Amino acid sequence: MTGKPVLFIELYGLFHWLYEKLQATGLSQAWVNIITYTALGLAIFTLLALVALFLVWWERKISAHVQQRFGPMRHGWHGWYQTVMDAIKLLQKEDILVDTRDRLVFFWAPVICFVAAFSAYVVMPWGKGLIVADLNIGILYIMAITTFTVISLLMAGWGSNNKYALLGGMRSAAQMVSYEVPLVASVLVVVIFVGSLSMVDIVKAQSGLVFNWYIFRIPFGPIAFLTYVTAATAEANRTPFDIPEAEQELVAGYNIEYSGMKFAMFFLAEFINLFTVSAIAATLFLGGWNGWAFIPSWLWFLVKTLGMVLLLMLFRWTYPRLRVDQLMEFAWKFLVPVTFANLIVAGVFRYLGWYW
Amino acid sequence: MKLLKDIKALVEGLQIAGKHLGRHAITIQYPEERWTMPERSRGIVVLLSDKETGELNCTACLLCEKACPTAAIRIDAPRNPETKKRELKSFTVDNGLCCFCGLCEEACNFSAIKMATKYEFSAEHKEELVWDIKKLQEVGRDVPYVDTRKKKSPAAKPSVPKDTPPKSEKKEHEKKSQPGEDKGKANGPEGLTTSDQPEGEKKPNDKKGQS
Amino acid sequence: MVELPTEEFVVNMGPQHPATHGVARLILTLDGEKIVKIEPVIGYLHRAIEKVCENRTYAQCIPIIDRFEYVTAMSCNYAFSLAAEKLAGIEVPERAEYLRVIMLELNRIASHLLFYGVTAMDIGAVTPFLYGLRERELIVDLFEMTCGQRLTYSYNRIGGVSRDIPKEFIPQTHEAIKIIGAKLSDYEGLLNENPIWLARTRGIGVLPKETAIAYGVSGPVLRASGVQYDIRRNDPYSIYDRFDFDIPVRYHGDCYDRYLLRLDEIRQSIRIITQALDGLPGGEIRAKVSPNFKPPPGEVYSRIENSRGEMGIYLVSDGTKKPLRVKARGSSYNHFEVLPQFGTNLLVADIVAIFATLDIIVPEIDR
Repeated sequence: MTGKPVLFIELYGLFHWLYEKLQATGLSQAWVNIITYTALGLAIFTLLALVALFLVWWERKISAHVQQRFGPMRHGWHGWYQTVMDAIKLLQKEDILVDTRDRLVFFWAPVICFVAAFSAYVVMPWGKGLIVADLNIGILYIMAITTFTVISLLMAGWGSNNKYALLGGMRSAAQMVSYEVPLVASVLVVVIFVGSLSMVDIVKAQSGLVFNWYIFRIPFGPIAFLTYVTAATAEANRTPFDIPEAEQELVAGYNIEYSGMKFAMFFLAEFINLFTVSAIAATLFLGGWNGWAFIPSWLWFLVKTLGMVLLLMLFRWTYPRLRVDQLMEFAWKFLVPVTFANLIVAGVFRYLGWYW
Repeated sequence: MKLLKDIKALVEGLQIAGKHLGRHAITIQYPEERWTMPERSRGIVVLLSDKETGELNCTACLLCEKACPTAAIRIDAPRNPETKKRELKSFTVDNGLCCFCGLCEEACNFSAIKMATKYEFSAEHKEELVWDIKKLQEVGRDVPYVDTRKKKSPAAKPSVPKDTPPKSEKKEHEKKSQPGEDKGKANGPEGLTTSDQPEGEKKPNDKKGQS
Repeated sequence: MVELPTEEFVVNMGPQHPATHGVARLILTLDGEKIVKIEPVIGYLHRAIEKVCENRTYAQCIPIIDRFEYVTAMSCNYAFSLAAEKLAGIEVPERAEYLRVIMLELNRIASHLLFYGVTAMDIGAVTPFLYGLRERELIVDLFEMTCGQRLTYSYNRIGGVSRDIPKEFIPQTHEAIKIIGAKLSDYEGLLNENPIWLARTRGIGVLPKETAIAYGVSGPVLRASGVQYDIRRNDPYSIYDRFDFDIPVRYHGDCYDRYLLRLDEIRQSIRIITQALDGLPGGEIRAKVSPNFKPPPGEVYSRIENSRGEMGIYLVSDGTKKPLRVKARGSSYNHFEVLPQFGTNLLVADIVAIFATLDIIVPEIDR
């Protein structure tokens, strides 16, 4: 290991090859690293952009078929490049700026949201050996980064200088902060048993039989999974917790005043967040990239994540919306005690060694 | 326990929504596929022409103009001083004013005006929605209809004055004998065939808003 | 400890809003999330229907009155025809009465299905909207087959109905009500026991009996508050006294009861339709009315049980062929007026739920 940085990636040897080539040309180590990591970042960014586009299309199709209609059908077979056309449309839209907005805040809100959403993918285990950086604080890093979205929603609500947007921003901040607690407590249950915060370690702990997955480890596994899914839908601002964007009440909440590319950034960030929480659920509870060997590991990861995404989408299109005080009541009076009790039980089990 | 009941209800909701994922959609892709409209569907107003001669059936009795609640039909039919009959000079229907109620079709005794099943007539300017006699006749050429006029030459008809209760009653009695056969049955005597038309057309003669 | 001053702010749930069905406006004074004052404002959909009717003959009024409340256009036509027939003393043939009842009840089911869809959508669940409309399509197809239109039917005439039913009508109606009856269990499974739905509608927007009666509320809203009053029973019109059906009543008066009551009413309507189809006689479909229909001078108020409540037409005739005054009474007017009475413990989301379950249709308010 001469001079190679400790954190590295093996994307089927592709970035290895790039790294070796650049070193052979004799550039300084710093430049080699910069170029390799930039290329890696661009690759991940492209992948995520494609994921976001796919998810938008998929949401429209799933919602349509649940409602017994077709969804997009015109652009490509069953409308597969509809999202691309929508993105082009949003790009060429006029960026309507309210005169009385708070300029700095208004401008940076979507940027922060977008960056926070994408930054979580530094530690996402896409497959065996397919992780950008196996930080040893993996899951903690993700929890910390996704909290930035709260700030950006507040900024959006404030900067728009609009009563409805402000209401939406306040509500969303309250909601996201409240649901962080059960979210982290559910995640901690898994961490207790793995003994490490690193994402790769978490996945490795579930290797072997299907029953090693944390969702199957009675009694704390399923409860942790259910509470995680509930808290995750709230974090992703999806129905039944989509008060910040409740169309029927506040007419789009915090992103009322955004149009064009800024709105596109919020929109894509929402779908990236959705994918993030589903990916974490798949990693923590459903075994990550573990699975039968005849399918590559990254395919397993995608299948599990998309399964969770499907579940969250079905939630959106089946359930009505909770009122904001009921939402808060549910978080603090029900979820927090349940997750803490679960955590205590899990801790006791770990201490006594009653787990498998 | 209430919690388990709640979870069961939530799961049941998901099942009901999820089972639709496998079903075929009930919508059709317009404009590639179009719905066949039922025969009585009230679309745009057209003027009907005689099936053999191709001339308009309209005798300028002005009943439809009087029946229309929104004054969408404007007819200019001055009386010819020699023959004392009305001659149709112009007949315009403003589709922007038309409310598609069908009163004009009911008022007509001569199978001259009908609400066809066509519904695609958008225009870019309001003025293009006003259709004159040529367009009305042209669009009405391929509209199937039941000819309910008496088998006399059309020219004789216009001399009949507007409200003739005795004659219409007689027609009604004639028409009533048809459904009378099926009087006892629960089903309506009509089918969706061309015999459909007369029932609706004859009755309104004495009840329509003639002023 | 410093008390932070708070002030109330005024929010306009304006004429254009996804949750007000139509162009109704509410001026809300909010204290944080709680509503302090509600002020309803109407008039955005005024089309002067009553004045327009004064310049039309009785037969020409029928399509105009259709637009008075276009979701249940059959009831509007019927109320007007009933008024004119009462005034002139016309006797309507049996077959026409049966057809009218079938159409009225089908329209009631269609309206309640629309209510179901729209209420669910306002409270957040979008999918039931599509399910409700899918079933409503079956009924609207029946209407299109008979009279040619899907929303503003103009089916009734003074003295009867305009056209007889085609021969596919009866089997298709049986099929349609069978499907709707079966799908009701789907709807109930989707929402009735759902804890989120219960949290959003149970105990919300309780309308006490006395307030309901004082404000002239009628229809399912009244019956959900515990008053057993249905014009079809208490003041029968047409041939409703021949049919065997129950009047569902609920006693809590909250949104959940109003929602459940309308689903019950769909079942009762299915019963009435089945009985009417079985007993449909032959015969004429319209009484003989002169072409220049001139009812004798006088006034009459005819009221019917619409799917929203009491719909009435007050008709004044001076002996000419155009009515002197047509006043249409819509139940949504009273329901809209009773909104400020729902108490002060409400949030904005509750107002949306209450507005949806009162089943307010704005054209009835503004005419």
